[in-house]
Formats: sequence, C-alpha cells, structure tokens
Amino acid sequence: MQEATFLILTALAAGSQHGYGIITDVQQISERRVRLRARTLYTALERLRTDGLIEVDREEIVESRLRRYYRLTPTGAERLAEEADRMRSNAHVAMSRLEMSGGLATT
Amino acid sequence: MSDSTQLERRYQRLLAFYPKAFRREHEQEMLAVLIAGAAEGQRRPSPEEAIDLVSNAILMRLWQTFTKLFVRPYEVRHRRLLWGFRIVFGLVLLGVAMFALSYGSWWALWFLAGAAADFVSATASTRSPKASLRRDA
Repeated sequence: MQEATFLILTALAAGSQHGYGIITDVQQISERRVRLRARTLYTALERLRTDGLIEVDREEIVESRLRRYYRLTPTGAERLAEEADRMRSNAHVAMSRLEMSGGLATT
Repeated sequence: MSDSTQLERRYQRLLAFYPKAFRREHEQEMLAVLIAGAAEGQRRPSPEEAIDLVSNAILMRLWQTFTKLFVRPYEVRHRRLLWGFRIVFGLVLLGVAMFALSYGSWWALWFLAGAAADFVSATASTRSPKASLRRDA
C-alpha cells in the first residue's frame, strides 16, 4: 500500500470527510510532509472506491459547490488495520536491530 | 471578472482534458478542492499543477482506449465460448446425419437441417458481439 493511500484511509478512519478535509488532515497526520494534489487524491479515491475500501457517505452543496463526504467501508477498515499492523511489526524489528548493533546508543 | 471566477475557469479548462465519465463523477468536487487549495488572490493554476492535471488526464484517456481495445467484456468472451460449442455440436449432428445416411434412413435429413441451423446461428452470434463492440466505441 502506498503511503498516500495509507494516509487517506487513516484520515477517514475516525469518520467521514470531504476532499479538501482529507488533504488538510493528511498534511496534519504526516506532520506537513505529505501534501496531496487534487488529482492524486481523486485518482486514489476513485481506485479505493472501485476496490470497495471506501464509499460515499453523503453529499452537500456548500457555496453552490458539490461536497462529497467519504467514509471507510468495513473492508477498508480491515485493510488499514492489517497495514498498520504490518508497519508496526516492521518498525519494531528495525528498532530492535538498531539497538542490537548499538546504533541507537546516542538517542 | 473576479480573481476566483477567473481561476475557476482556468481550472475548468484543464479538467476538460479528463474522460467524460471521470468528469461527470468528480469534476465539481475536484474543482472545489483545487480552489480551496489555491492561495488568496491566485488567478491562474501554477505551471506544475497544470502539467500534472493534463498529463494525468491524457494517461487516463490512453488507459481507457487500451482497455477498450484489448480487454473484451465478459459477454463477448462468453459468446465466443458458445461459438466453439456450437461448432462442435453442429459437427456431431453432421456426423450423426452421415451415419444415418449411410444406412439410407430418411430421418438423416432432420439432423442435416439441425446442423445447418446450428452453423447459421453460430456465425450470427459471432457477428453480433463485434457489432455491439463497435456500437460501444
């Protein structure tokens, strides 16, 4: 799973959000490291929707513009949990090996 | 014309490169996100943004053409399969007819007629999916 995809799913994990909300949230989650472009977001959302990981929650018209809210599907939540689990175990191995070699002695 | 409507028009022009189906689904949303992400008083999309949008749109169109040309819909493959079965079935009927004819039985004609009807419908079924593909294109 690409980082952008992981971050988008994470942004939707706590509740539904609309497009721009996802972008600002992803920025926050990644500590300003990842700034999604509109096209990256929408191609990702389109793919995630056809894969059944997210779905449209509701639509609103704000200042005469369509605002579509997305949410995770149960499958999407499952996939995100699996991915987070995998990342945690990888990170754990990385840290313990660094400790073993003394690479983390200074921190 | 205010800055924001000018910006909106320019974004719209870039989004026009996307395939119709994608636009129908996402154009309004994407426009809202692009404008929300723009700086105060910004009048035109940045060059990188413009290139990013247009190249993505072109790739999407190319991909669509590719799948349309090389990925056959399920119905077509199914009909093709059916066509194979029809030919085999027709040959079996023909064989039975020949066998019956060799005994001089008049009912062999029924099998011959059946085989002929089967072959005709088999060729018709292979012609129609191509026609429907052309309609879709």
